[in-house]
Amino acid sequence: MHLEPQARRWIVQGLIGVAVGLVLGFLIGWWILPVEYTNTPPSVLRRDYRDEYIVMVATAYEVEGDLDQARERLAALDPDSPAAPVVELAERLVVAGGDSEDLARLARLAWALDAITPPLMPYLEDQP
Amino acid sequence: MKGSSMQWLPLFVGLVLGLVLGLVYTWYIAPVELVNTYPPLMRSGYRWDWIRMAALSYVADGDLEQVRGRLEGLEREDVAGAMEALINEYAAAGRPTETMRRLSALAQALDVYTPAMLVYLNTPAAPVNTPAFAVSPTPLDVTAPPTPSETTPTPKPTRTPPPPTLTPTPLPPFRLTEREQICQPGQAPHIEVVVRDENGEELSGVEVWLMWPDGADRAVTGLKPDRGAGYADFDADPDVDYSLGTSELGVPLVTGLRIEPCPEEKDKEQLMGSWRIVLERRSAATGTPEPTAP
Repeated sequence: MHLEPQARRWIVQGLIGVAVGLVLGFLIGWWILPVEYTNTPPSVLRRDYRDEYIVMVATAYEVEGDLDQARERLAALDPDSPAAPVVELAERLVVAGGDSEDLARLARLAWALDAITPPLMPYLEDQP
Repeated sequence: MKGSSMQWLPLFVGLVLGLVLGLVYTWYIAPVELVNTYPPLMRSGYRWDWIRMAALSYVADGDLEQVRGRLEGLEREDVAGAMEALINEYAAAGRPTETMRRLSALAQALDVYTPAMLVYLNTPAAPVNTPAFAVSPTPLDVTAPPTPSETTPTPKPTRTPPPPTLTPTPLPPFRLTEREQICQPGQAPHIEVVVRDENGEELSGVEVWLMWPDGADRAVTGLKPDRGAGYADFDADPDVDYSLGTSELGVPLVTGLRIEPCPEEKDKEQLMGSWRIVLERRSAATGTPEPTAP
């Protein structure tokens, strides 16, 4: 196929334009003006905030003694297995040498949720 | 001139087309992934719950700096609203005085005020910054890789601290001796309180607080001398749960007070009953705790 030089130049220009436009679009859409989320659930919290959330659920359970509410709060992290985030964090804290008070609270909550695991047993001295 | 403009038209059209395609892709097809968010971005119900749990952690630990850290970035309106709701709910439920004191102290530290907390701020309080039990101020950080010694499968035997039993609260100086529904025609629903000493003599100058979920009111006995030196009263509305306490220690002595209809009488209009509450000062010798009256 033979194109006029003028037409070829237009095609090349158009393709360059599209490429530059795409790069600009990616830059704007992902870095400069990315989609901003609001009204998010706790399940998408950054890991450190998620850990804080779980520890606070355990602390609130200790203060209020409301297991249903604790279960409901944890279901916001894992609807299928609300106890899983507690056990996962507690075991991570055991390995990392986390705060013993946090560990004890998490272990007590895990116990109340019937999800206690062997690594957490030493933190359950007060349980019957 | 026109020819010169037309010369760059394909480039311009391509640029616009590419930009539009890029934005559609990045905003709709493959937007920034919804991970690593932080509390202020949560839905309002979750934000309020976050604040509530942070406040309850203060009740347990007394660590103000930790609470401030947890509330960082949250709107003041959210913090105020959630704190007020929590304090009002706890006041109406007649939660332990020490818990109420801590919540009230936290609210004050966060520059939040609600009428229900005033009674707990006006009374001698235990130092709120003293944790009920020892808590390490070490921040929660489990992202650091464990050192070899920390990977020991058996955790160190750690004595689990007792549950957060709060400091024993001294007995309230007054106790409930009488709680009677009064049904008198022509009287607006109210709650009247008579305060007596251990010998049955009416006491003037005693500060009495009436609390309900949205607020609190204060009265001092003896300001209506025709009703007696120990008399004080409050207007009251139906369908509100009231609790009653004296200024000392802010202990709710009576909870669950509601303006309710009087028993029906034949051929008479049904009245809304008021309440007459009689409080008696404990004698110094009284040492055994008594449960709070229902």
